[in-house]
Amino acid sequence: METKTSEEAEGASVEFEPSDIEYVSYGGEHHLPLIMRLVDQELSEPYSIFTYRYFVYLWPHLSFLAFHKGNCVGTVVCKMGEHRNTFRGYIAMLVVIKPYRGKGIATELVTRSIKVMMESGCEEVTLEAEVTNKGALALYGRLGFIRAKRLFRYYLNGVDAFRLKLLLPRPEINPALLMAANNDNSLLHDSNKPPEGSSQHY
Amino acid sequence: MAERGEGGDAPLPASIYSDEQTVWADVSPLLEAACRDLRDGELIHGENFSLFAAMSALEIMDPKMDSGIEHSGYHSIEEAIEDGAAPIPLSFDRTVDVQCTIDIMDHFLACEATWHKGHSLAQTVFSCIYLLRLDRTSPHALLHSYCRIMRATCAAVISVVSDARTHEEEDLFTMAYGLPLKGEGDEKCLSMLNAVEETISRQLRACKASSSKKGILENIEPLQTNLDLEEGYCKALLCRLRFRKHFYHVLMCMKKPQGRGFELARKHIASCLSELAYIYNSLEFLGFNAYGSCQNDIEDSTTASGRQPVGFDASLNSRLAAPTPPRAIKILSWKKAIKYFEKLLHDLDTICSFSMDPLLEGILRFVVQFQKSQPDLVARAHLQRLLVQDGKLYGRDPVFDVICRAAAVSDVPKNSGIQKSEIVLQLGQLAINLLKILCTNAAWQRRKLGKILQDWSVIYVQLELASKRDFAETPNILTDVNVSMKLSKHLLIWTEEQIYWIASRFLMLGFELDLYSPTEYCMVYWYMYVVLIKLAEATQLRMGTSSDIAKRKGKKKRDLPKDLAKDSQIPPMVLLLQCYICLSEGLTMMLAALRNEHKIFQRPSAFNTEEERFIQHFELLQRAHVPGHISYMLFKESTSHAQFSTLVRYNYFKDAQRIAKELRSSFSSDSDRLVELRQIEQVAEHNWIALNVICQAGAEDPSLKISFEFSHHPCFAIATVKRS
Repeated sequence: METKTSEEAEGASVEFEPSDIEYVSYGGEHHLPLIMRLVDQELSEPYSIFTYRYFVYLWPHLSFLAFHKGNCVGTVVCKMGEHRNTFRGYIAMLVVIKPYRGKGIATELVTRSIKVMMESGCEEVTLEAEVTNKGALALYGRLGFIRAKRLFRYYLNGVDAFRLKLLLPRPEINPALLMAANNDNSLLHDSNKPPEGSSQHY
Repeated sequence: MAERGEGGDAPLPASIYSDEQTVWADVSPLLEAACRDLRDGELIHGENFSLFAAMSALEIMDPKMDSGIEHSGYHSIEEAIEDGAAPIPLSFDRTVDVQCTIDIMDHFLACEATWHKGHSLAQTVFSCIYLLRLDRTSPHALLHSYCRIMRATCAAVISVVSDARTHEEEDLFTMAYGLPLKGEGDEKCLSMLNAVEETISRQLRACKASSSKKGILENIEPLQTNLDLEEGYCKALLCRLRFRKHFYHVLMCMKKPQGRGFELARKHIASCLSELAYIYNSLEFLGFNAYGSCQNDIEDSTTASGRQPVGFDASLNSRLAAPTPPRAIKILSWKKAIKYFEKLLHDLDTICSFSMDPLLEGILRFVVQFQKSQPDLVARAHLQRLLVQDGKLYGRDPVFDVICRAAAVSDVPKNSGIQKSEIVLQLGQLAINLLKILCTNAAWQRRKLGKILQDWSVIYVQLELASKRDFAETPNILTDVNVSMKLSKHLLIWTEEQIYWIASRFLMLGFELDLYSPTEYCMVYWYMYVVLIKLAEATQLRMGTSSDIAKRKGKKKRDLPKDLAKDSQIPPMVLLLQCYICLSEGLTMMLAALRNEHKIFQRPSAFNTEEERFIQHFELLQRAHVPGHISYMLFKESTSHAQFSTLVRYNYFKDAQRIAKELRSSFSSDSDRLVELRQIEQVAEHNWIALNVICQAGAEDPSLKISFEFSHHPCFAIATVKRS
């Protein structure tokens, strides 16, 4: 789906302190029109109200809104679920309105959502972004996403997309077990080995 | 739907059955009360309602989603025709009629290119009302024959792309639901076009004659009424007609199996290109003589004259467009369309020039080289159709024979039944699929190459087991044991080489698709280095077994020592891989040293470490054990001590340069290879210089700005050092 957060703020931007921004988890129906308005005006793909409801009804704890002085200036909408034996989070929409871009609001929204995903047991997080969306690619790159695939002419306007994926660190396992696994020479050995060493958690 | 009458009695809708026994109740108050009762966030739904399924819901009357919404004001093609949207003739003024016909031809070209580039047929070529109702154009021979050949051309192109059947993401292309793609008499399209071309040729001759001599040679009615412009308009039409004719011939010739029509196709391609040049040059004449056109828009215009063409309406077909939301699409400009066709024709010419190498190695090289120019779907479909037909190479060579040739296997007894064995059949299938995958667009291709590694690995294991098992199970039939042992050994070596070749393509395509960020280059080059070493080993092994065969056949004992000396020489192909290996190692170490000493090109991230990114990038390779025993830890160990002071002593880049220079003579007849050798030398040279500059500057110099660019070779970056 889509991200509109361009890190280069265009035109008039609003002055504010990061602490002026209030981040709120999706709280109910009263938030839905705010999200819809933001996404409808910024993103080009048409979404029906059922698309929004699908995400915010089933995973309200994964969607966040950013407010400045009572106005909704940004939102992230996500889901998570089982996908081919992996428990995976998916970032469906991310929007920050133009005057507020380039100040880390989008990063904060995404970060909060990913944290909830991690706490819920997600092994990875994924999304699609236009190959030309430098801002989004930089944002997600900084968070540890890689460009896993390129999707030819993914969007209706013919632009390619990258599928971005973030692999979350797996819990540590006994190093001795890993040693034994590494020494196995058989080609038929299943090599879904967990990583060695400690993983950093944010 | 029933509508409320004034008095409250609703008229009964015709579609709902009812009779005198039916009792109707008005439930509006009930619904209103239920609405009032619903709280925020509540939803009434049926049992089988699912939020997920509801996402596909369309909101009727929303123009972003409802393709039934009528924009143009015409409810049907017939209404548009009645309203004069597609007049026949286009004008009663013959000059205007000719001008408008040329505009239509130009717009058709632009639509066709737009369609090829990935939009729906319904919104492009078939947005032409004349084309949608071809029969009514019969009185207008020029327009009629042009529309007919357009239709036949589209059908031919769809046919070749459908045959390829690997156009995954490009599946919009073949959708032609409800469109009149074929008609009676289409097979005569060429003769109709020829007749029209003949008439205009005579008109051209007549006007030239009358301008140069006193009398009129031919008693023929001129094309149009303005005698000063007769020559220009005749020529403008002729090149457009001839382009269509030759392009159709190209498609028909290339359709012949086993490349039988390629020589003739090349002649038609050459004619197409020269007619395209005439078409482009007609811009001056047509633009100058256009009335009602805005000269400023010529860059975006879909016609040479700059005018909008008569008879096109994309919204009439919106319901047939595709299962995508209704969206007005931008038709490619006429100039861009010409460029597109020039490229397409050159790509088709490359295919027609292919020597149809019986050796798989040569075919793989050709396809990889062909893909470098990023050919579009139509060209790629033609290549695939040439290579794979009826499950055979070129529709002619059985896969088993191809593999045996590639694996340097000879003397397989015809009735051994080996060809029918499960493993051999599967291997053949994998080889055929590989060829098809290599003809797809790079993005899709890379995903597929990654996936098939698993299948190839499984076959490798099975071959290994089979080669041991055959020996154990058939101890009596000695000759057959020898054959199948030898066969298995050769197939095993060949399969291993293919696996590493696929892995190397997978990794390299990542650069071309821009999938790696600079902080990941180090691990990618390291993995490439590891894979390429295996590939070089496997290639040398496979080439060694084939030279073994050559050696053994008809050679006398006293010749052997001489051959040994020659055998120790490394084949050029392997030396080329050696260049790649040197460059990969050099880049890995340079990037590692930059990270270790300058602390750049690393990315501490909030949610994961470099290890997770390593696992993600190489997941498919790791899962298939290509190669085995490779881990993130090994990568760290190999690179954690990289330092510039030691790097300048290990001459990876100098080695690459030296080998590339030596290879020039081996590849002297291969211009593509020579170009690549030059690129390798330049990459090596620039990186060597950069290495020295960085080393001399020292780790503490903050003014150094280092970046990596792919300015010379698509996969091997060059370090650029700048002082800020």
